[in-house]
Amino acid sequence: MASADKPINTDVPEKDVFTLHFLQSLSNLRRQNTFNSPEKTNDRVKKIKKAAYVSMARAAGGTNRLWSRALLRRAAKENSKVVRFPRRKKRVTCLRRRRSNRRDPVEEEEAERLRNLVPGGGGMETSKLMEETAHYIKCLSMQVKVMQCLVDGLAPK
Amino acid sequence: KMSGRRSRSRQSSGISEDQINDLIIKLQQLLPELRNSRRSDKVSASRVLQETCNYIRNLHREVDDLSERLSELLANTDTAQAALIRSLLTQ
Repeated sequence: MASADKPINTDVPEKDVFTLHFLQSLSNLRRQNTFNSPEKTNDRVKKIKKAAYVSMARAAGGTNRLWSRALLRRAAKENSKVVRFPRRKKRVTCLRRRRSNRRDPVEEEEAERLRNLVPGGGGMETSKLMEETAHYIKCLSMQVKVMQCLVDGLAPK
Repeated sequence: KMSGRRSRSRQSSGISEDQINDLIIKLQQLLPELRNSRRSDKVSASRVLQETCNYIRNLHREVDDLSERLSELLANTDTAQAALIRSLLTQ
């Protein structure tokens, strides 16, 4: 057989890593008086939702994944913070060689839909997109579990 | 039948056809809708991609709903603080 392909790793961290990051985000929000102030419910919900996605991206490995980089970059842009990422050896983001003709058009159509759902998907080649998607899905469902646990813990008995 | 034998195109991303097929299988196993399909039912790649999109949309919706729930529950800080600590300890 030809040289074996390197197995693609889509492992995600344990649940407590996600929990820890999310709780840290929440306590930051509390320090900013998000939960006490009489501000509109919608703003509060939006902040919590953003905390969920940002903490998930951090827990999942921050800048090691294309989707989490894109997510964090977008969040920082919303805060108009200066985005400073450590220099990576490989220039991953500038290559827009993504229109892969190797797969049939039906799959490419679905892949296009997927690109709109996965952060940073727009710049990814189809094969890379699928790898990022698998990781993204695992992290998303982990984040959902964490939030559900929290809701269950906080709900009045 | 999944993608048949295709001529080896340039591996611009360094991921081979086999690895892509593996990823499709991996994705399939992550999807609640398709996870339990029998070996004999070959699920097409585009079906997997379609279900993946649905699944991601559902997860996004769950994050929305849970964010709303959390917003309600955290609004009352006294009890919330105690409960947060409690839930931290009972993870």
